[in-house]
Amino acid sequence: MPKSNGPDPNESIEDFIVRRFEENFQRLRFENGHGLAPEVKEAAKRQVLLYWRRLREVAETITDTEVRLSLPGQVTSKKRKFNIEGVVDIVREEGRTVMYDLKTHDPEYIRENLGEYEAQLNVYAHIWQNLRKQELNETAVIATRPSDALDAAWINRDRNASALEDELERWNPVIPIPFDTRHVQDTIEKFANTVDRIEDGVYIPPPPSHLSKKEIRDETFATRVCRNCDVRFSCLSFREYLKTYRPKELPKFRDIYEDAGAEQDREARIDAGLET
Amino acid sequence: MSDVVPALEELWEAAEFDPNDQQKRAIQYVGRPLFLTAGPGSGKTRVLLWRTVHLIVHKEVKPEEIFLSTFTEKAALQLKEGLTALLGLVTARTGNYFDLTKMYIGTLHSLCQRVIADRRFSPDRQRPKAPLLIDELSQYLHLRDRNWRAILSELGWKNANQEINEFFAGRASVSRHHAVSSCISLFNRFSEESLDPPRLRTRTSDPTLLRLIELYEKYRESLRQAKPPVTDFALLQQEALRTLEDLDRRVGASRAGSIFKHVIIDEYQDTNTIQERLIFKLASGHKQVCVVGDDDQALYRFRGATVENLVRFPERCRTYLGTHPEVVPLNVNYRSRKRIVSFYSDFISRCDWRKNGKSKLYYRVMKELEAKRKDSRVSVIASGRDHPDVACAEIARLVKRIIEAGKVADPNQIAFLYPSLKSVQVGRMAGALEAEGLKVYAPRAHTFLEVDEAVGMLGVVMHVFGKPERGGYGGRDYANFFDWVDEAFSGAKALFSTDAALERFVSDRRKETRLVVNDYQALLKVSEREGWAMSQPYDPDAMKRPLLGADGLSRRAKRTFLSAYVEGLVRNRARTQRPFTLTYMILRATSLDWNILDLFYRICGFRHFRKMFEQAERVKKDEGPVCNLSLLSQYIGRFIDEYNASVLSAGFLADDRLQQTFFASYLYALFRRGESEYEDAEDPFPRGRIPFLTIHQAKGLEFPVVVLGNPRKNGWGPQRVEEIVYPLLPRRGGEPLDRMAEFDVMRMFYVALSRAKNLLVIAHYSGQGQSINEPFSSMLDDDFPRIIEFELETLPEPEDADAELPKTYSYTGDFLLYKRCPRQYMAFRKYGFVPSRSQTMFFGSLIHETIDDLHQHLIDKRGRNAQEQRA
Ligand code: SF4
Repeated sequence: MPKSNGPDPNESIEDFIVRRFEENFQRLRFENGHGLAPEVKEAAKRQVLLYWRRLREVAETITDTEVRLSLPGQVTSKKRKFNIEGVVDIVREEGRTVMYDLKTHDPEYIRENLGEYEAQLNVYAHIWQNLRKQELNETAVIATRPSDALDAAWINRDRNASALEDELERWNPVIPIPFDTRHVQDTIEKFANTVDRIEDGVYIPPPPSHLSKKEIRDETFATRVCRNCDVRFSCLSFREYLKTYRPKELPKFRDIYEDAGAEQDREARIDAGLET
Repeated sequence: MSDVVPALEELWEAAEFDPNDQQKRAIQYVGRPLFLTAGPGSGKTRVLLWRTVHLIVHKEVKPEEIFLSTFTEKAALQLKEGLTALLGLVTARTGNYFDLTKMYIGTLHSLCQRVIADRRFSPDRQRPKAPLLIDELSQYLHLRDRNWRAILSELGWKNANQEINEFFAGRASVSRHHAVSSCISLFNRFSEESLDPPRLRTRTSDPTLLRLIELYEKYRESLRQAKPPVTDFALLQQEALRTLEDLDRRVGASRAGSIFKHVIIDEYQDTNTIQERLIFKLASGHKQVCVVGDDDQALYRFRGATVENLVRFPERCRTYLGTHPEVVPLNVNYRSRKRIVSFYSDFISRCDWRKNGKSKLYYRVMKELEAKRKDSRVSVIASGRDHPDVACAEIARLVKRIIEAGKVADPNQIAFLYPSLKSVQVGRMAGALEAEGLKVYAPRAHTFLEVDEAVGMLGVVMHVFGKPERGGYGGRDYANFFDWVDEAFSGAKALFSTDAALERFVSDRRKETRLVVNDYQALLKVSEREGWAMSQPYDPDAMKRPLLGADGLSRRAKRTFLSAYVEGLVRNRARTQRPFTLTYMILRATSLDWNILDLFYRICGFRHFRKMFEQAERVKKDEGPVCNLSLLSQYIGRFIDEYNASVLSAGFLADDRLQQTFFASYLYALFRRGESEYEDAEDPFPRGRIPFLTIHQAKGLEFPVVVLGNPRKNGWGPQRVEEIVYPLLPRRGGEPLDRMAEFDVMRMFYVALSRAKNLLVIAHYSGQGQSINEPFSSMLDDDFPRIIEFELETLPEPEDADAELPKTYSYTGDFLLYKRCPRQYMAFRKYGFVPSRSQTMFFGSLIHETIDDLHQHLIDKRGRNAQEQRA
């Protein structure tokens, strides 16, 4: 079996990222059975590189990567035993410990739904502190999706290096999460109820009215979530929603079968799938 | 919290575990190798769990120094969850946290994959690139569809199919399927026995076998040359062994055997030769190998397992490690009521296990089982000795009474077990249950394609792409397959008659495919007329205009040539070494907006299929149909992977190529291989239905009520592959060829009988052409308790799932996902539908994994720098 010939000691970090990115891409492509559109792939690579450029000081201080946090010994009100699990990155430095949760989400969505993320990170913090007997000083979400301006600056970086520097400076992917474990028991209780519902097999979709709710900017649950949901055609809520609330950008009910998304999406799928 | 590590006894108490003396010894013994002979239901999983906890907590073994293998991924998952929970008890008392992420826990296959990619086993501590593992279906398609012709022509082997089939089955059939399947089973055996071609050649002079050995070599080469390189299950283990041997050779010492302090192997009776070598290699340093198993439950000879690994473990320890093992029997049965245990103990002892008929040596580890449950009321009953129709009806009535009396929590707690689900008895029994208004779930009774959902869905799909036509040749399988095609096709027509919208939808899609093909042909004509080579780069300036003028070109095709986005891509690519070719552009312009998986999901929206989803969404549910739909999505997903069909272009649609590849090639392969099983690793049996299982599927499981639906297995001779391989093996004194079949049948029924907790029911067929195996027929004598006398009140009440190990739920993958939409959770997380638009997921994983690699790299780098500074 061919083995790699050892690391090139002079390989720069960015070269390392690009090499590893390519390897991961090939493997995932094999596992998924399809690729990514070239633009999407570039955007992914860009996210990693920008992360490195902007948050070098975080990346270089991470001491534990992909730490699996587990809260064992939980019991639901229906007496089901379960454990809660989450994955985070940890920085430990000079007696300070910071917990990061890396997300590829839209930072704007995160800022607007901070409560959700607070609940999550505070449960993680609770696990960390109670089980590891270690203080935690800070928690934060890192939202790696760059702003549009930064994306543009990156694409033009050869022509205008200082614009990229400026945009990088302006970009703030670290979203601190207020550290407050008072509501942890609440969240755990909700978690437990969810476990019961999952095990009882309650799989009812949210009602049509929920689908029309605005989530961020002009996007509703239906356009953000349902539209990318393969089982939407067989979904009563979605069908009802289309009959009742259909917004302009979604096709008429009888046309939902024709809907292959916007032209960009359509071409992107072909880019990802058609061998050149 | 205190810093005192809690004693084992304290932890047992906290976990409400009250081990017997044997179990205590098995948990605590450390020293020589350990040999645990575990009878059915003897709590071996718990023992392994506690043994591991003990090592980590009290013996200060780091989790990453333990290698623990199980038979299935599900078992591994449960062990991991159990460990998390038990170690959590310790953490809660001491604050010491245990990180299990680096622990080796999984099936031997998955652990082999890890070994190959683990930097600890690489001399320069770099992470080597491991080949990707392909499963059995991919292995089959790899050989049959992508390499068979090429290899045979390279070898100059004419009439190979006939010769191979003659060699294996004594019939010179031309079937490629049979030839390929036989070769794969032989190749797997070669690999599992580590029989390398050069060595093999010295052991035979049979000309066909010699050619097969050449074929084997070529097959292995084809795996290495695939892009990316792949490996199959059997060869994977060889790769792992080679990794270990390479390491020792390169460091000039025995390092590979010292990386794990403890090697623990569950279900040892079902390991094969190469696995044994691997295991002893891993344990060669610390000699702390613990094997657990039961030779009476060995089931997998046909996959290369050798039960001798277990029966002769003490000898092998002496050979490999120069020491003998401590033997601890686990004989107390916690699972079954007393009479069940007596029944199967009696059963297995009715076979003569002695070597040579009289010596004191046995082909079996002798054991005395003891039932923990003292309830000695009747718990094994048989139907009346009767014609199968009558016996099945009697059993069905009993089952109905059990369900109605609430003696099981759900119908899925009553399992029907069969040596094979292809037997006629299965259909009879299913019919009898259905006549009582009960629903059955029998994933392996038919090939998967024969289930209603598959017939219905694929019939509709057939109307879109056209029905494949029966050729004038082929054997029985071929005829059966085309009967299936006809049935599916006309079934869909019947659906159309009740759902006009579906019919309209299908005919629209069909028109679309025709349109695309017309465009394709028109564009080809233009290229021909202009004298362009299809492989030349697409030059928009010169080509766009003529192409747009193609005869009758549709708007959708024009769109591609006119799109600014596409033009941008073209210009970008033109600057690279790999510009878009004319072929590519034509295919792009003639691609559908949907692929077969998208089509599948759209069809799911029509009434007939939509109802299946609605049934699963309810709390009182019938999950059967949706499980089958999800499996169908997985098979379609597989097709897309194997044949690069994520975009359907005219290249696929012209000349009925899709019809050929999807139906006549891929589905036909599934059909002949008898592809089946829906398996949800966590919750394998849909609620509301009575599961019918093969005995093999039931391995390791238990059910409150078990019905042995066919106590008959016609004596097979040894398998042909066994006959071929046997003379090629170095002599190891295993079971003789002529007794293997008898032993295997006994063990198989033993597994079936020992699955029952509260009630074991045996179907007793008689009448013309009906018989049951010995020793059943003598055991089910006139005094044997029968259903008719059975008093339902004596059956214990169902227990709640309380005793179960806790499950782990991910905050993001379960909680948040469910919160977002329970139905979406159901489809993709619970039932495993394959998403069609998984770009977002791919995108996320790609970023996450690369950033994680970056972090790991930076951590390593710091470590190395620190080391250098110290040095
Ligand atoms: S379409 Fe999908 S995401 Fe939307 S409500 Fe239905 S199941 Fe949920």
